[in-house]
Amino acid sequence: MNINQLIFRNFKKNVKNYYLYVFALMFSAALYFAFVTLQYDPALDATKGSIKGGAAVRAASVLLVAIVSIFLLYANTIFIKRRSKEIGLFQLIGMTKTRIFRILTVENFMLYFASLIVGILIGFSFSKAVIMILFKITDTKGIAKLHFSEEALIQTLIVFGVIYLLIMTMNYLFIKRQTILALFRVTSSTEGKTKKISILEIIIGILGIIFIASGYYISAKLFDGSFTSMNALSIAMVSILASVILGTYLFYKGSVRFLLNLMRKSKKGYLSINDVLSLSSIMFRMKSNALLLTVITTVSALAIGFLCLSYISYYSAEKSAGDYVPNDFAINNSKDAASFKAALDRKKIAYTEKKIDVIQVKANVKNILENDLESPMVDSSAMIFPMVSETSVSGVTIAQNETLFTGSNDMLQQAMAFKDSGQIELKGKKKVIPQKFIGLNRKFILSTYFTSGMPAAIVDDHVFNELKKDADPSIQKESSVYTGIDISNEDNLPKANELFGEIKFSDDSLNNSRIEMAVSQKQNMGLIMFIVAFLGLAFLITSGCILYFKQMDESEDEKPNYTILRKLGFTEKDLLKGIKIKQLFNFGIPLVIGLLHSYFAVQSGWFLFGTEVWTPMIIVMIVYTALYSIFGILSVLYYKKIIKEAL
Amino acid sequence: MNILEATNIHKSYGNKFNRQEVLKGVDITIMKGEFVGIMGASGSGKTTLLNVLSSIDKINGGTIKIEGNEISRMKEKQLANFRKTHLGFIFQDYNLLDTLTVKENILLPLSVAKTPSAVAHKKFDALAKQLGIYELKDKYPSEISGGQKQRTSAARAFIHEPSMIFADEPTGALDSKAASDLLNKLTELNDKRSASIVMVTHDPVAASYCSKVIFIKDGQIYTQLYKGDQTQKAFFDDIMKTQGVLGGVQHEH
Repeated sequence: MNINQLIFRNFKKNVKNYYLYVFALMFSAALYFAFVTLQYDPALDATKGSIKGGAAVRAASVLLVAIVSIFLLYANTIFIKRRSKEIGLFQLIGMTKTRIFRILTVENFMLYFASLIVGILIGFSFSKAVIMILFKITDTKGIAKLHFSEEALIQTLIVFGVIYLLIMTMNYLFIKRQTILALFRVTSSTEGKTKKISILEIIIGILGIIFIASGYYISAKLFDGSFTSMNALSIAMVSILASVILGTYLFYKGSVRFLLNLMRKSKKGYLSINDVLSLSSIMFRMKSNALLLTVITTVSALAIGFLCLSYISYYSAEKSAGDYVPNDFAINNSKDAASFKAALDRKKIAYTEKKIDVIQVKANVKNILENDLESPMVDSSAMIFPMVSETSVSGVTIAQNETLFTGSNDMLQQAMAFKDSGQIELKGKKKVIPQKFIGLNRKFILSTYFTSGMPAAIVDDHVFNELKKDADPSIQKESSVYTGIDISNEDNLPKANELFGEIKFSDDSLNNSRIEMAVSQKQNMGLIMFIVAFLGLAFLITSGCILYFKQMDESEDEKPNYTILRKLGFTEKDLLKGIKIKQLFNFGIPLVIGLLHSYFAVQSGWFLFGTEVWTPMIIVMIVYTALYSIFGILSVLYYKKIIKEAL
Repeated sequence: MNILEATNIHKSYGNKFNRQEVLKGVDITIMKGEFVGIMGASGSGKTTLLNVLSSIDKINGGTIKIEGNEISRMKEKQLANFRKTHLGFIFQDYNLLDTLTVKENILLPLSVAKTPSAVAHKKFDALAKQLGIYELKDKYPSEISGGQKQRTSAARAFIHEPSMIFADEPTGALDSKAASDLLNKLTELNDKRSASIVMVTHDPVAASYCSKVIFIKDGQIYTQLYKGDQTQKAFFDDIMKTQGVLGGVQHEH
């Protein structure tokens, strides 16, 4: 048999053995190619135009390269370790290291580029679907055409070529550094089989849990007013990140082993089959995997967190548009309102109109704030609020000495929490009217032009008129009449919206259409969500594959154990039960911790992104968990095969 | 009383075009409490014989009965069940789980049978003291010597009080001191616990501890030697002679 035959045989054998590696390669290539095609697609300009979409896509593609290359390099280390025996054997029979390297290179070349080409073809055929999804999410009208982008092809080839070179360098260093003996021993020495639990480990374990818990604690406090200055806020954020990441690392390094050891001790040496396969095996390996698991956990927490946030803001686009624009159309001055109404009349579109007089007043709200707002920019004794009379708001009656605030969302609630009641003072130019604050309603009645993000104060008509006469001109807006127009028949809304777009309004009045606003937010958030989801998917699949490879490796190592256990009289079913528990831990621990991390991250700041938290967050988490579990199930199937072969 | 009866067992490997017959009609009976050695040259089929007797491998023809149960007709699940209650194993390479301590390894068969934990600990204490490994109970296999590992393995085979123990070259990886230690312990356990032991070995010294030695040649029984009332030394000489005849180089002229 000459070298070429050897190479060919190896190749054939490896395709069968490493089908998952091949799959991972094809998958990464497909993913990358589809993404790059997107980047070069002219049809995308429509979506990219609104925000710096092109830049976002490019930045994402750089990240994608990072994910893919780390993944491929990692996968390669596992596979070269598994072949160390073969390499040792070649050396033993007198092959030089250079020659072995050449064999590996040729073999890898065939494997790598064959899967790359298949991957590109798959990516190409999926690129249309990907674009369609993007259009669907961003509500863009456009037909996706299947077109093969040469630039994308070249870019993909270059990127994967560079990764190939990196892999080869790694293999070269691996072969160069090894002696024959070490190569034979490598599989047994990679996993340190440490013995007893030391005190240090217990301390590390406890510290890990403390770090994570304190990170969570600070994150819950982040926006509730405990940190008021910008500086304190950023210090708090950094310390959350640091303590959670460090805590996660220590958790894997010590806590898991420590907790499992407690469980094991309690059995006093009398372990059931499930304990043997799950507890003891995880204990031995969790420690050496600590860094890898930390990275996987942290990045999946980030991925889930970002996905949740972008989905939250996408999901609540319509609702938050309603907060900013309380009617179908919000027009801030009477002249524009008149011209729009005339246009509607011409087209015979029925509508209802709502006019509200608004003045801006200063108010002393020191007594009703939950927290002191210590900031040079804000003076809580003279904050500016829009004020309306009770007569302009239907269904509200207010006594002469009372004030009701209306128009609040969770973001405001977090930034500036009001008490249920208390004393406030409304200040005109000269007059100061003391009032009893009676509460805060959620409903918005004015557009952002008038509110500037503050709730509107509703007062008795008498008080309103008094302050109107005494209004401070320096804080008044140009317009003092809000006109809200609701279209009576919803079917006419798109037509009315078109009209609204055509009319030339006076320049600086920020008139708004609610659907326009919802659509534009959907478009912006849709693109971000799409990119985050794409990256998240890439990451999910690569990290799932890495854990799966790790399990494949482990199952090969533990095969002799299964042989023993089966000889002792355990059935395949018994063993598989233990394996299932083990995989529940192996895949479940990083997942659960990742979900927990992202849960706390989302809880601390979701109100900055939208109005709805539970539904979008739970949807994202369930989808992520489902996709992730596929890898757990695959690994159990692999174990099943190994156990079956064991006897 | 016969504890194991195997009649006319056949075993072959390979497909129908390339069939390799390893066992060609072997008959064996083993009595309760007997210590039986199986000897033979490499490739004579002794390990295969042990594997089929111990239900790890299937036979192609014949019957094997242990305590009246015909194991050659059992399903995989029944077999596993049978193994965990009736059989114990000792292997040349110890086959201990590296991830478990000595005690955990030994107690493993009891957990299959769901023995109450108090009983399990009592059994462990008695057996481990008898084999002289009680002090090692919290050590891991990688921390103890080969002889100690093999005694641990023996303890695991005896802990659930099986009726048959199968040992595949148990002394193969041990030095002569550790080997004779182990064999003395095995003989002792064989007497006290009246478990029958079947041991494959190619070491005549090890075989001389047995009460009966079966010689296998080319998949068939060549001869059987009984120790009877002889001394171990005399039995050893017998074995050596037989082995000389059996394994002697055949001259063609």
